Amino acid sequence: MRGLRYAFVLTATAFMPLAGQRPLTVTGIQSLTFGTLLPGMPSVVSRTDAVKSGRFDLGGPHDTQGQVTFTLPSVLTGPAGATLPLSFGGSDAGYSQSQNIGSQVGFDPNQPFLITFSGQGRGSIFLGGTARPAPIQRAGSYTGTITLNLTAFP
Amino acid sequence: MYTASKAAVATLVLALVAAASVRAQGVNGSITATATVQSPITVAGAQNLAFGNVFPGVAKTVAYSDATNGGHFDVTGQASTPVTYSFALPTNLTSSGNNLPIGSWTGYVNGANSTSGGSAITPSATPAGASLSAGGTLFFFVGATVTPANNLPAGSYTGTVTLTVSY
Repeated sequence: MRGLRYAFVLTATAFMPLAGQRPLTVTGIQSLTFGTLLPGMPSVVSRTDAVKSGRFDLGGPHDTQGQVTFTLPSVLTGPAGATLPLSFGGSDAGYSQSQNIGSQVGFDPNQPFLITFSGQGRGSIFLGGTARPAPIQRAGSYTGTITLNLTAFP
Repeated sequence: MYTASKAAVATLVLALVAAASVRAQGVNGSITATATVQSPITVAGAQNLAFGNVFPGVAKTVAYSDATNGGHFDVTGQASTPVTYSFALPTNLTSSGNNLPIGSWTGYVNGANSTSGGSAITPSATPAGASLSAGGTLFFFVGATVTPANNLPAGSYTGTVTLTVSY
């Protein structure tokens, strides 16, 4: 009986860190927008571009760490299945613990990246990239989906 | 002993449950990436501005509406999209170092290939605005006047009229 009581204590202790803390969340805030492009003319969006860069807001237990990975499209898809090549360079993503686009730590969105949530349990990821329309790129609207995966370790 | 074993098993089971509950958690969210590709602009010189034979001391005018001799440019691009255009115009036609003055430029711009239903313009280097038609076309028509001097040497005189169009 004393052993059982001990087991319950252990279990309760194990659950304790999760109680009363912010849940793990990822919210897509702003699309990565390349705007109007001309065939044959690449367009670069910087992660510090407040209007065009993509943005995700993250939430989680304060002062803890999490791992960020992206599922990135290699093309945008347009009219009649036409594709527009898209690429992401080694510093096209940035993390801001203060959620300020002006104070980011750059990282490679093609690689896992370790983040630390702020004291309020928040953070933001900003994303830039390069679209490269071919010289004979078909006119029209192109879209793709970018997914951010966040894993936290208690 | 029996009680102790039961307690140990219970502890293990509950510890496993606890361990499972604190395992790494994952969530995800998505945004879209978007781009709009426009049709490139093409400008084609469709018909030369042709004055034909002119005589010393006699000015000659070709109207933009002259279907045979007026200058024509055909433009294509993104449908229903505004563009800016400008002309680079010669002040003389030349032949072996001799000049034949040209000026009094007239013009017309239209989404259709016609000199009616559009707008009269004065061709110049100053950028002006127009809009591509719903079919992505724009047509420019150009006329001018040449003023041969009384002592202008005979010859074939030419010059270049350039139209630049951009989004």
